[in-house]
Amino acid sequence: MWSELRADFRLYCALRFPHGVGVLQRALLWFRSPGLLMLAIQRASHHWLNRRERDGWTPETLALKLLLALTRLPMLMISKSDVAMGTVIAGGVYLSDRGHLIIGPQGIGSGTLIHERVTIGVGAAGQVPPTIGENVWIGPDCVIYGDIRLGKGVTLLPGTVCSMNVPDNAVVAGNPGIIVRRDFDNTALRRNLERDVDRESLASR
Amino acid sequence: MSAWGKVGAIRRTPGLQAVFVYRFGRLLDSRKKSIAVWPLLAVGWIVYALAAAVVRKGYGIRLSLSADIGPGFYVGHFGGVEVINCRLGQHCSVGQQTKVGRDGQIDGPRIGNGAWIGAHSKVFGPVTIGDNVTIAPGARVTKDVPSRSLVAGDPGRIVSRNYDNARILPPI
Repeated sequence: MWSELRADFRLYCALRFPHGVGVLQRALLWFRSPGLLMLAIQRASHHWLNRRERDGWTPETLALKLLLALTRLPMLMISKSDVAMGTVIAGGVYLSDRGHLIIGPQGIGSGTLIHERVTIGVGAAGQVPPTIGENVWIGPDCVIYGDIRLGKGVTLLPGTVCSMNVPDNAVVAGNPGIIVRRDFDNTALRRNLERDVDRESLASR
Repeated sequence: MSAWGKVGAIRRTPGLQAVFVYRFGRLLDSRKKSIAVWPLLAVGWIVYALAAAVVRKGYGIRLSLSADIGPGFYVGHFGGVEVINCRLGQHCSVGQQTKVGRDGQIDGPRIGNGAWIGAHSKVFGPVTIGDNVTIAPGARVTKDVPSRSLVAGDPGRIVSRNYDNARILPPI
């Protein structure tokens, strides 16, 4: 849990302070970034879930549960987000500071950026949520649902509704979502927090 | 469900709290003709204003009193829900980031019973939507929709004219 949180913190610092700042500014990010705090609480909740399944109710799991229950409502009101406790999130993931995320995938790979107002959940037919691969860039206002898998390096342009499997390095856009490009390197997109990307601006990259 | 379980369910469900506050506001609004209860109403409106502000700012759920919502309304999740100037029938369900109706319009959407309105969908303008309609996540409804249809896409198209949404609606 701690090594993953350190990776998250490094990613948040790199995104929020691209030109580098002092140690104090970086430490203050823990108080100023709702997304980072949300990730920390999700990781603690996930840790608690694993511990409770392994050891049952011990004083330690009970204390952690009380602590997490106290943070739940303030975090919900600050970030307006709900990240499922059971989700396996790899280290170095960015969840938007602007919030409005209702996400509950099976897993999120490292290096993934998820922007604001994104919903990830089960479809109407099944009970299996999506799996998000590594280095995925998910733009604002996206909806991802169903028993699907987003491969490595997938880019979801803003406003996409995706309910199909997406191969590695593909770009999905539109509602309903279609694959508009098969090989796109989204490394440059994942370097900063630029969000207004559309198909025209993507063609020039 | 035990009484303690019900309290826990209300505490954990922002949508249910928002619906309670909305119903309280509608109750106050319906009693404004009887002069005898005006002192009570004054207190009630203060309580309502505070509760509605918490629900709107804290949870991001805005159920305006200008909306006429039938019994059995379900708000799944929270954040960005706006239900304004519209009419919804019984046993409707809306998801997060759903916008139904907008400020300042007189003839808003009219939605029948048992509508399932998915997350991130938008229903603006004077459209009439029938009973047991399913609006897929992310859809934008621009035209009238007959009963039992499934609407998807932006702009919304009718994908199926006979879709049974009893499975995805919350149980009655």
